Amino acid sequence: MGSLRNVGVVGLFGYTILFFTFIYLPIVLIVAYSFNSDPINMMNWSGFTFDWYRQIFGLKNTVSENALYIESTEQLLNALRNSLTVAAFTTTIATVLGTATALGLYRFNFLGKKFYRVLLFAPMLMPDIVLGIALLIFFVGADVSLGLKTIIIGQCSFLISYVFIVVSARLAGMDRSLENASADLGADEWTTFRRIILPQAMPGVIGGALLAFIISMDDLVITYFISGVDTQTLPIFIFGMLRRGIKPEINAIATLMLLFSFAVASLGLYFRSRRG
Amino acid sequence: MSTSTLRGRRRSQLGILLGPASAFLAIFFLCPLLIMLVYSFLEPGLYGGAEWAFYPDNYGRILGFANPEFEDYDPVYISIFLRSLKIALITVAATLLVCYPAAFQISRLPDRWKNFALFLITLPFFASLIVRLFIWVLILKKTGFANMVLAGLHIVSHPLELIYTEGAIIVGMVYVFIPFMFLPVYASVEKLDWSLVRASQDLGANGFQTFWRVIFPLTLPGVVGGSIIVFIPALGNFIVPAVLGGAKVMMLGNLIEQQFLGARNWPFGAALAMLVMAAVLAILFFYIRFEARRGDDAPVLR
Repeated sequence: MGSLRNVGVVGLFGYTILFFTFIYLPIVLIVAYSFNSDPINMMNWSGFTFDWYRQIFGLKNTVSENALYIESTEQLLNALRNSLTVAAFTTTIATVLGTATALGLYRFNFLGKKFYRVLLFAPMLMPDIVLGIALLIFFVGADVSLGLKTIIIGQCSFLISYVFIVVSARLAGMDRSLENASADLGADEWTTFRRIILPQAMPGVIGGALLAFIISMDDLVITYFISGVDTQTLPIFIFGMLRRGIKPEINAIATLMLLFSFAVASLGLYFRSRRG
Repeated sequence: MSTSTLRGRRRSQLGILLGPASAFLAIFFLCPLLIMLVYSFLEPGLYGGAEWAFYPDNYGRILGFANPEFEDYDPVYISIFLRSLKIALITVAATLLVCYPAAFQISRLPDRWKNFALFLITLPFFASLIVRLFIWVLILKKTGFANMVLAGLHIVSHPLELIYTEGAIIVGMVYVFIPFMFLPVYASVEKLDWSLVRASQDLGANGFQTFWRVIFPLTLPGVVGGSIIVFIPALGNFIVPAVLGGAKVMMLGNLIEQQFLGARNWPFGAALAMLVMAAVLAILFFYIRFEARRGDDAPVLR
């Protein structure tokens, strides 16, 4: 009986190792192969090179002229610029509106509050593709030309909910007695808000903003439908590359993107650990 | 006097806090969805767009009645819907199978390791979805990593067709949806009262009985929650089938995309999207019923 139990424990442990291998082996592979010099078969290791990285930044490299794979560095940088522009706007708008909504629901009671809360969850549960085409029909019907503006609006329509939820969770864990103490000591509402509520809510606001930023940078489906023909964001650029056939420098692009998102995520988790 | 101005001030504060977001969501979330609903009942225009006429045949083409003058009922649409449903359900089951045992192991680790494990599981969620899918193209394609390993171990002599299959789509979806399933399941497992498990064993239940009658019901809320948040994005997904299914395996999402960006039959595409939304709403309805019933049962259990 005891040995059977051990088999179970060892089995579960082995399973968990496999679980993490499944998650991380692909990531390790892509990073490793981004340094592979074989331009034809990406999985055939033929030597170490920085060429693909040089290639995406438009630097001189040993890849011969007729093997120029990337569409153009210009396009890539343009897509990156678009993504950052969109993310800057959506993060700001969604953070302000989402935080305001969370504060409103935290401080006030009103008729239909529960229903309102459910309504705020709806954009997160809506399948991407449904919201994407609904926005496309809407913008085309309203005669708005598709581009950065429509992408920003479209992304905000679901990012507000994400920020709202993160900030609400933070507010729910807050100590209400501090607020009462502040009022008892004669602070007016604005002072209490500025000196007590806002500082306590801040980690939630930062967390919500980071989440909004990451989701915005990564959004593909909704952006795909409402970006129009001329505007590409980074995920759409890569999606297009994949559909046209895979080229080796995409490994390098992917590695850089992984590095970037892991850095942002670690930053977020660092903030969270500090608040605890 | 002061109470009425106070109330007025509170009302204006509430308006300032909730007004902008409410207006934004009313215009750019609810309004587009309503327009899409209306659109799905309009007649497709000859050159894209829609004619302002009631036209239920968009649904007819999918569900079995159609206007024979223009287009026929084609069972291919319902079969694509059923295939999407099947792939989404298998994805849910596979993700659960992958996450459930790992959640048990991780819940029993010492705190430091536990936090590190949770960090490792959530980290990929922050990485670009398209990048994570692309990796699987490299792994599954004919000259890819999986075939290299299989050939190296002499398991296969010819490279297998791994990519552009339903299996590839399912693997890709499981990979990207792991954090969605893991976190709710883990939350349930973490809360599991092990004294009940020991009680069950003391009372003579065997391993299977203990699992099926005690452990599984107690972790069911996490299982159901995780299943729903995996099922919803899986059903209407078009990125994963586009990347890993190629043109060979079509799902509902790809069909909808075609109607909007290829065939330019927007009302038909809107009708298909309504189908996705109906399925999601049905699932959420059952979930709310499940939660409500659980709420009723809770005092009895206690």
